[in-house]
Amino acid sequence: MRLSPFLLIGCVLLGACQAHDQPAAAPATVQVRDDLGRSVTLPAYPRRLVSLAPSMTEMLYAVADTSTIIARTQADDYPAAVLRKPVVNSYPLDIERLVTLHPDAVFTVEGLTPPDAAERLRQLGIPVYYQKYRRVGDVLRGLITLGRLLGRDAQARRLTDSLQRQLHALATCPAPGARPTVLALAAADPMYAYGQNTLFTDEIWLAGGQNALRDSLPQPYPALTREYVLKLNPEVIIGGRFGKLDSTLFRQNPELRRLRAYQKRRVYATTPNLLQRPSPRVVEAVQELRALLAR
Amino acid sequence: MSSPHPLRWLLAFGLLTLGLLGLGLRVGSYEVSYAFIFDTLAHYHPADPAQLALVELRLPRLLLAWLAGASLALSGYLLQTLVNNPLADPYLLGTASGASLGAIVAYLLVPGLVVAGLYLPPLAALAGGLGATVLVVAIGTRQGRVRPAVLLLGGVAVGALAAAAGSLITFLKADQDSLRTVVFWAFGSFERASWAGLGWPAAVLVGSLGLLFCLQKDLNLLLLGEERAQALGLAVVRLRWVLLAVAVALTSGVVALCGPIGFVGLVVPHLTRGLLGAAGRLNLVACAALGGAFLLAADLLARLLYPPAGLPIGLVTALLGVPFFVSLLRKKF
Repeated sequence: MRLSPFLLIGCVLLGACQAHDQPAAAPATVQVRDDLGRSVTLPAYPRRLVSLAPSMTEMLYAVADTSTIIARTQADDYPAAVLRKPVVNSYPLDIERLVTLHPDAVFTVEGLTPPDAAERLRQLGIPVYYQKYRRVGDVLRGLITLGRLLGRDAQARRLTDSLQRQLHALATCPAPGARPTVLALAAADPMYAYGQNTLFTDEIWLAGGQNALRDSLPQPYPALTREYVLKLNPEVIIGGRFGKLDSTLFRQNPELRRLRAYQKRRVYATTPNLLQRPSPRVVEAVQELRALLAR
Repeated sequence: MSSPHPLRWLLAFGLLTLGLLGLGLRVGSYEVSYAFIFDTLAHYHPADPAQLALVELRLPRLLLAWLAGASLALSGYLLQTLVNNPLADPYLLGTASGASLGAIVAYLLVPGLVVAGLYLPPLAALAGGLGATVLVVAIGTRQGRVRPAVLLLGGVAVGALAAAAGSLITFLKADQDSLRTVVFWAFGSFERASWAGLGWPAAVLVGSLGLLFCLQKDLNLLLLGEERAQALGLAVVRLRWVLLAVAVALTSGVVALCGPIGFVGLVVPHLTRGLLGAAGRLNLVACAALGGAFLLAADLLARLLYPPAGLPIGLVTALLGVPFFVSLLRKKF
């Protein structure tokens, strides 16, 4: 077979372009340790990405080339563009569907993907990388790490610098006594709240308040009794509009109407999926909390 | 060696209940002394949050735990007699699965949980429990006669169907938070207790005990088997309907208020018969008293082991009840 000189030149040029994007000296894979301490072998520049958690999807959309995100989970809803991606069920994990998509790497967060599913995927040649977030700083660090793993350092750095600037602009240091105590309910019947070891504790601190749940309980979202909440007597409750909680939580438990939050009607709803989702919108969550506290 | 007189057992259960009530009143987020408890009961000041917690939260919770234990134990006793099968428990008629399905529907399919100003979950649980029970009774009866074996199998079948329907809705609809709510409900809890909610289970329990006290001899005859009981002049058909109605009334209200709490209705009737004999005159009252004390102890243990909300009560009843049950089985058989 004879090669056309134009085709030959085209191939050389294309090869040169690819060599520019991914240096020839770059290794094909890299060995990294994820946030759970697991050793993970990832392609040096994964080009087919799947997230198995809505928060991680938001993280990837903020850092990765969005055309490299090849699927979404049934729970993903932000950003809106993600809704156009094919769906992979994350719980229970649809391993067969995932395998047919041939991802280079799967990204997820602690607690949302069972470790045995991750091990099964590893055996099938699909590496799974976990991140975990306890503080707002962990989210920013997570973005930087994703940027490094995906070869998008500059994009990640620009984003985190911007988020950091927004956080600095919010920075206030009220005296601990001046910080209102805020109880964030994850559910009202039974009452579950965001515990000390959740991202909310840091978010509300940055917003100028403090998590009313100061006891270090073993669960991230502990169940609470009415007596315990009565003793906490929070100044603000987050978990639903005043009217909604008045007809459910406070109606079922009239003794809770003695709480300062109820007396002063400082009972608020937040944007769905904003507080509980560690993502680049974490600063937006802090801003929203700050606006609620200022009411 | 002769076993103690049934009245002594009853006295012992009463003292145990009083002791557990006393201990239970002290356990909670507010630390209180016995002097404070007596002072509160004598001069209640609702403005004091610790006194409010004691009177409006702890006391109704303890009383609900006692009532639930007594009702479920009595219901279990009646159903074991009705079907003449030691495996029977209050949920034989599909009440627990039906109530769980009702609660799941309310929690996952009704936005806002309020319809026409009514808070739906306990009402939906009551409706689900009664609905499943009516279905099982319809399956287990023919021409007005209760057929115990069919009732038993019908209960298993309807229970499985309701559980599957509940699981399907949960699978399709639940997010992380609502899943927690549904799972918590399924474990059972006394956290929703209030004075207003105690009236119905107390009235049903007292009414049932009064009625059954008059039927105690008939119950013992039924234990001999249908044919022998009939030969001795017992109106078996009517008695079975009475037992069924009483058991349903005892179970459905408790499940709607507390969720399905397992083991107490299975274990306590056996424990009662083990202590007082198979056909004792005071068996029904003793069974209720022991059931009440059993759930009081389980609730106390749950709150002591895992404050503030306590371990799920259903787990504690299993952990407490099963070793007792197994040791009883080994002695008895």
